Amino acid sequence: MHLINGPVTTSAISGIIAKGGENQECGAHSLFLGQVRRDQSDGKYVRAIEYSAYEEMVIPEADKIFKLIMSEYDDVKAIEIIHSKGIVKAGEISLLVMVSAGHRDHSNKACAKAVELIKERIPIWKKEIFEDNSAQWRENE
Amino acid sequence: MEINVLFFGVLADVTGTSRKHYRDIKSFDDLKHRIGDDFPEITHYNFRIAVNNKIVNEDPLLRQDDEVAYLPPFAGG
Repeated sequence: MHLINGPVTTSAISGIIAKGGENQECGAHSLFLGQVRRDQSDGKYVRAIEYSAYEEMVIPEADKIFKLIMSEYDDVKAIEIIHSKGIVKAGEISLLVMVSAGHRDHSNKACAKAVELIKERIPIWKKEIFEDNSAQWRENE
Repeated sequence: MEINVLFFGVLADVTGTSRKHYRDIKSFDDLKHRIGDDFPEITHYNFRIAVNNKIVNEDPLLRQDDEVAYLPPFAGG
């Protein structure tokens, strides 16, 4: 898992897809992209999210997720996760998960499971920043 | 013993700091009380505690230079 400053760029996304091609025993790559939503709260729109992380804990927790997914879905060959830290504007990507497997059944299910586990277990927090520059901490639903 | 305490997310805002160093700590309970005295507003928030990057559920045994982190509910993605 990689934490990067700012949004997950299109070049980072294409780089991950290109890397997936190196796994020639795979027949399926399932890709999830999490985007910062322009939510509305009290008449104000979110213009960006500022992410912060307990970085020393992120990698050990991600390793546990990898092991859990690999043990549950034995056709999975690789899992790539990129998450942003710092400022990500509305409409930009803050999370990429790509699961590569021999076949689509396991890649799809494992990708969905990985996203849920990331939200539940990875120590990352987000502060919504509104168009008037006011801000509020936001928990996952 | 000396303990490094980290605050994340909303708790860093509430306490006004992301890191505080405590000396002469006798136990985890002692540390909790010291933090509660310094930042009484923290009790209004939900959080979990990690010691050296691992979440703990019960009162852990602390050692010299341990890192104790106050973690509000996670919100990645």
